[in-house]
Amino acid sequence: MLNSFFTLFIVFVFCAQSTAKKCNLNISGRLTDETTSEPIAYGNVFIKELKLGSVSDTAGNFKIQGVCPGNYHLVISHIGCETIEYFLNLRNDTVMVISLDHNHHHLHEVSITAKLKEGTVQESQSISKQDLEENGDKNLSAILEQISGVKTIKNGSGIAKPVVHGLYGNRLAIINNGVAQSGQQWGVDHSPEIDPMSANEITVIKGVGAIEYQGNSLGSVILVEPSTIEKEPHVHGSGNYFFESNGLGNGLHVELQQYKLNWDLGWKVAATVKKSGDNRSPNYYLKNTGGEEANVALQFDKLVGKRLILDVHFTSFNAALGVLRGGHVGNLTDLETAFNREEPFYTQKEFSYSIEAPRQKVNHHMATLHALYFIAPNQRFEFTYAAQLNQRKEFDVRRSGRSNIPALSLDQISNFIEMKYANDFGKGWELKTGLQVNYTNNENVPETNILPLIPNYVSIEYGVFGLIAKKWDKTTLELGARYDLETRNVAAISTSVPRNVVEFSEMYSNFSAMSGVKRQLTQNWKLLGNVGFANRNPEVNELYSNGLHQGISGIEEGEINLRPEQSLKGTLSLKGKVKNKLFFEALGYYQAIENYIFLNPSNEVRLTIRGAFPVFKYEQTNASIYGLDVSAIYQMTNHLVAKVQYSFIQGEDRSRRIPLIFMPANSLYGELTYDLKNVRFGKLENVELQVNNRYVFEQTHILAGQDFLPPPEAYNLLGAKVSAELQLGKFRLNFFVRAENILNTVYRDYLNRQRYFADDLGVNIIVGINAKF
Amino acid sequence: MRLLLLSFVVLFVSCKKDEPLTPTLPTIPNQEEVITTLNYTLTAPNGDVVLFSFKDVDGDGGNAPVIVNGALDTNLTYSGKIELLNETVSPAEDITEEVKEEGDEHQIFYQFSNPDLGTTYTDADANGKPIGVSTQLITKGTSSSTLTITLRHTPDKNASDVVSGDISNAGGETDIEVTFAVDVK
Repeated sequence: MLNSFFTLFIVFVFCAQSTAKKCNLNISGRLTDETTSEPIAYGNVFIKELKLGSVSDTAGNFKIQGVCPGNYHLVISHIGCETIEYFLNLRNDTVMVISLDHNHHHLHEVSITAKLKEGTVQESQSISKQDLEENGDKNLSAILEQISGVKTIKNGSGIAKPVVHGLYGNRLAIINNGVAQSGQQWGVDHSPEIDPMSANEITVIKGVGAIEYQGNSLGSVILVEPSTIEKEPHVHGSGNYFFESNGLGNGLHVELQQYKLNWDLGWKVAATVKKSGDNRSPNYYLKNTGGEEANVALQFDKLVGKRLILDVHFTSFNAALGVLRGGHVGNLTDLETAFNREEPFYTQKEFSYSIEAPRQKVNHHMATLHALYFIAPNQRFEFTYAAQLNQRKEFDVRRSGRSNIPALSLDQISNFIEMKYANDFGKGWELKTGLQVNYTNNENVPETNILPLIPNYVSIEYGVFGLIAKKWDKTTLELGARYDLETRNVAAISTSVPRNVVEFSEMYSNFSAMSGVKRQLTQNWKLLGNVGFANRNPEVNELYSNGLHQGISGIEEGEINLRPEQSLKGTLSLKGKVKNKLFFEALGYYQAIENYIFLNPSNEVRLTIRGAFPVFKYEQTNASIYGLDVSAIYQMTNHLVAKVQYSFIQGEDRSRRIPLIFMPANSLYGELTYDLKNVRFGKLENVELQVNNRYVFEQTHILAGQDFLPPPEAYNLLGAKVSAELQLGKFRLNFFVRAENILNTVYRDYLNRQRYFADDLGVNIIVGINAKF
Repeated sequence: MRLLLLSFVVLFVSCKKDEPLTPTLPTIPNQEEVITTLNYTLTAPNGDVVLFSFKDVDGDGGNAPVIVNGALDTNLTYSGKIELLNETVSPAEDITEEVKEEGDEHQIFYQFSNPDLGTTYTDADANGKPIGVSTQLITKGTSSSTLTITLRHTPDKNASDVVSGDISNAGGETDIEVTFAVDVK
């Protein structure tokens, strides 16, 4: 898939002399490439109100004649790009030079580089709005998987967490609209509660440390950026619908927005609904793997005076997710029986939409207030306040109608306040500094009649950071440091009888730092190098959990004396292009983590009334993770583009001299895209065909006995996509048909916990339509 | 600068709001679903009673369970009875009733390591399929072997041989799996 979109970089509007008020005005101009200044041919410029359009010629020129004076919306589109809309108050003959950033999709750079932002010297890759729209059927983690070096750890296809450079959960920060996503991030089977359809862009910083952001990170950060409100005086909107054959899923996303120019106020409302039923592996239905989602987002932007921008966001994410019925086991004997079955237990011949226990019900509500004040053109002050409420209920199969009483019910409230100050001193010097406080109150709702898995706690985190960057002609240098103080008060239930409440207090004090350099080697090649030191405090589940974890058929024992993890990570990347035809990027990384916390299977087997269970204890070791992400894009002909991505990763437990468990398998991805931008099929434009193939190697870097089952074999998945655009009256339509696992290959993925019980998904055909008006 | 100061004030005022600094004390749950005790009583025709018992009051961790094994006489037909208790609550709750009420969703399996020993079911659920709370055991020869008693929740009683006590195709979740030493003299 082409991660492509064009940015309307500059629009120059020249007003020629004209007196006429008749309908004889011309809009003409040229589409050019921002980097090379070369003309862009076959671009479409269209006036929505008049249904009039023009296609740019080989010199990039376009002309629309005989237009009356008035207010118009111009639509500028090009193959594989996000369509741009531009509002024009036409009074005279108008000449426009529209400069498109043609390299953007090749180099995946973060588009907002005008201001100092973490990621300027760290490696980052983004998913554009168009890609999000064309993957509306997927969850956040699955969408991110198209970035090399990003994998997912799953429990079925509906419950997935992103894995970046081998780290996930508490070791990977997800920053949603500038605020660390709060919730039960420790759980491997807890998906991030974010609706990707409400985002404008999602960026993965494959970094060495998150200096600017609070929240757990041992290197990488996922930034979910909300959509901006376009400065359009009329009500505009979009709608996206998809249907998928596997699971008979349907989804709808609608957005409406307007910018009241005279009030300097913009508003936007968005809603998503999704429903799918039992997924199907090539040979059978995966019973109880459906899901439902209903999300809303509300947003206001207000310009106060000339210097203050206020924005308010409210989002609500609500999901019900089924877990494979045959994957719910009571003890080790059940697990072993399940391993040896062709089909999982409870497999039904019929498809069903119903979601029964085991299931999850997750609600996440978030309100954010953001103020940006320009003290001077080069100095700004930012204030953010965010409140989050995360509610997670998990339902197990229980006796006597108790399946409708959650077996786990946690509420988490968090309040976050941040102040940031940035100054571009000039001569290439930039400074950014800030202060953050986060309050978290985590509470077990006493409705389960089961001993809670994690205790109640209140945590307060204080953080302060500073980043300084200096840009020379060809070199950018960045240095950053951060200090964090966390106090945590915990109230747990004793592990022995008679049960009583036991209270604990902890305090952690950490210092992190990073430095990075970006060097333009030649006009076409650049080098980025980063080194960072980061910390992660032990999480409550690692300190206090005690008892049977049903999903993994083991007894987990926390260790109260765990110390923070300390990470030292270095990345080095080289990116460049050859003759504007070959685009190349390679990133190598090495990370050493001291006091790495992991679940160690002990030799102890504990006898319970449910049978004997292995005991896993949270322990610490010294680990290292290293890898390489390579991607290349080759423009084979004018219409044919090939893309290849390879990622290699390996993890070691250095103290015990054995491999690290649950490291992603290596993978190789390739795609060929053919565009028919010069061919017209009636009113269809920008027709594009793509075939892709993903090969995932077997995880061989693991010893027998480190897991219940050996890793699954290597697998190969073939996919294809066709997309096209169409202007229909006021509507700009984009269609796509995507096919995944076309050959219906039977496979299991190493990082999908459902692999112990069932095959992964079979063929899936997704049909989607996106409309903008 | 004034704005900066103001924000600091806002910051500290906000932190001192009514948010509690200590967590809510957890409610100790009434674990009404827990099974702590399994008693398997075998009654000989002459009224002699042999008890096999597995008791783990403090749950999965903590102290080891207390297991009582029994010795049986050979060439006898014993009638067997299962009693399941939750002794975390006082008075102890009888879970056997719950299992019988949801008989169609439960089945108890008996597996002897000695193939000469075996149980037959003497009870039935609403569909006429066995539950396994009441059984019969016929002893033969002399031996020292083991007996594993398994309670499965939501087994597939229609799968082959499940009604005759073969656990291999039953599926479901194991609520109980305990093993006893059985001597037949």
